[in-house]
Amino acid sequence: MLEARDLTVSYDHRIAVADLSLTLKPREITAIIGPNGAGKSTLLRALNGHVHASSGTIVLDGQPIERLSRRTISRRIAVVAQEAELRFPVTVLEFVLGGRFAWATNAGWGWESERDLQIAGAVLRETELSDLSGRLMNELSGGERQRALMARALATEASILLLDEPTANLDLSHQANLLSLVRNRCNRNETAALVVTHDINLAAQFADHLLLMKQGRAVHSGTPREVLQPEILQEVFEVRVLVDAHPVTGGPRVTPIHDPHSSV
Amino acid sequence: MPAPPRQNRVTLRKTVISCAVLAAALLFAIVFMSLIGSESLPVRASLCALASFGRSSCGLTSDQFDILFQIRLPRILLAAAVGGSLATAGAGYQALLRNPLAEPYLLGISNGAAVGTMIALVFFGAMEWTRPLLAFTGALLATLAVYRLARGRAGATPERLILAGVIVTTFLSSVIIFVTTLMDATRIRSFTFWLLGDLSGMGRGLLPVTITVAIVGALALTLNARSLNLLMLGERDAFDLGVEVGRVRVMVFVIASLLVGSSVAASGSVGYVGLVVPHLARLSLGSDNRISIPAAALGGAVFVIVADTLARTLIAPRELPVGAITALIGAPLFIYLLKRA
Repeated sequence: MLEARDLTVSYDHRIAVADLSLTLKPREITAIIGPNGAGKSTLLRALNGHVHASSGTIVLDGQPIERLSRRTISRRIAVVAQEAELRFPVTVLEFVLGGRFAWATNAGWGWESERDLQIAGAVLRETELSDLSGRLMNELSGGERQRALMARALATEASILLLDEPTANLDLSHQANLLSLVRNRCNRNETAALVVTHDINLAAQFADHLLLMKQGRAVHSGTPREVLQPEILQEVFEVRVLVDAHPVTGGPRVTPIHDPHSSV
Repeated sequence: MPAPPRQNRVTLRKTVISCAVLAAALLFAIVFMSLIGSESLPVRASLCALASFGRSSCGLTSDQFDILFQIRLPRILLAAAVGGSLATAGAGYQALLRNPLAEPYLLGISNGAAVGTMIALVFFGAMEWTRPLLAFTGALLATLAVYRLARGRAGATPERLILAGVIVTTFLSSVIIFVTTLMDATRIRSFTFWLLGDLSGMGRGLLPVTITVAIVGALALTLNARSLNLLMLGERDAFDLGVEVGRVRVMVFVIASLLVGSSVAASGSVGYVGLVVPHLARLSLGSDNRISIPAAALGGAVFVIVADTLARTLIAPRELPVGAITALIGAPLFIYLLKRA
């Protein structure tokens, strides 16, 4: 379980995350939404120990994160960031095996074990990349690369997944596929997931819990139904929105209203 | 025609076999290049003497024995150590800067080591041990400068990297010119030759140091190769996956600077080895540093032995600086890589 307690993060005297508390629970997807510069990505990086808290604590399985070694953290928390840099030719399998780094032992002299290969094989099947395992990463399409990033995160077997705009480069069907992968992993492996996204409707569909951020603060949190209210969204995003029921799922659906005669 | 099936990953077995083949090639190069030179040596007797590690002359005259064991063999071993060091350092810088164009000579790091060596020569001429020490210090400072200048938010882009290299190189070149003017005229010619990369002269006394640094450096980077694999994909990715980025970065800084420092102190700036050899290793064996670093170390040793044999035989009895030969091969490859980057 990953928990942020009264977390404040500041850069160069600017507060990026202010006094924020959050708990990621097994089998739950939490989505963070909010305008640009709200501190969403900073929060994600703080949760992973990448940026330090100015005050407050982050607790991973009962221990403050700064007391844990990098390897220990990486076995429990996996990050799916935006696209990796690929200036060197790397095969898909090699890329995905990178997710097994934190599990390497001295006895293995830095080489992958049979178990590592089995896990890589399984996640490649799960992400439908088995046929591409020998291809070079920079020969893949954007969607395939994003799936490889997801596969690498799943290969870590971490019980917490942090995803930063995972669907930004994906078409509609790949967006849904990727989030289904996250959902399956959460249900089957007692995993908790946190997704930073700009896509409110996708968040409404997949998340159990929404956290709405503005200027570093958590302004609202709750189920999609509780958070996605027109007045709340209007206050945070400063745009008029229409919230109605999704005709298929029945969940909330958000549509911005662009009224050329209105100043709000 | 369909592309040939690519091996999906590098295995320990493939690494051991590749390194064994390259080690055999290195041994072959050491033995046979020592038979080539302006003075011809009897092949059978020379092989016999080499096989006995110099304990038996096997019928070589004492002049021939001295040519083999006092002149050619030390020079070839020095070439091997310098080549191995520079190729390993190149592979290390490439992982650290996340750019396949990183190379100690082109980044000005060799110049940093050269400045250190020259300061040692001018001010502490009698103390030979100060040369590798100051060369190391110079290389380390130049590495830090390049790293600070080249690193952007998205790692070192080719443009930034080359620009940083140009800045550091030209700055240090003017320092070198300044130090050269402090020397007396008779030494200037031999220094100019040395600056271009020269295995003929002053490095002999440093042979044990250079060989030790080459072996230890290549082993240390190879043992951290899996971390370097992840570092090549970005520092943030590596951090997320469990690499102690800060520790590995310092390790590569220090080891690569040691490798460049010791080889420049012994032989001047031999350029392009760190570009050509790791590139060929990756092209033939894949980007996995667990195979490409040891392969580059062994391949670099062979490459510089061959280049130096050309340097001392092409216009014999006169000699070319070995750096001229390596640059002749490396510069066109650099242009090719730059076009692809």
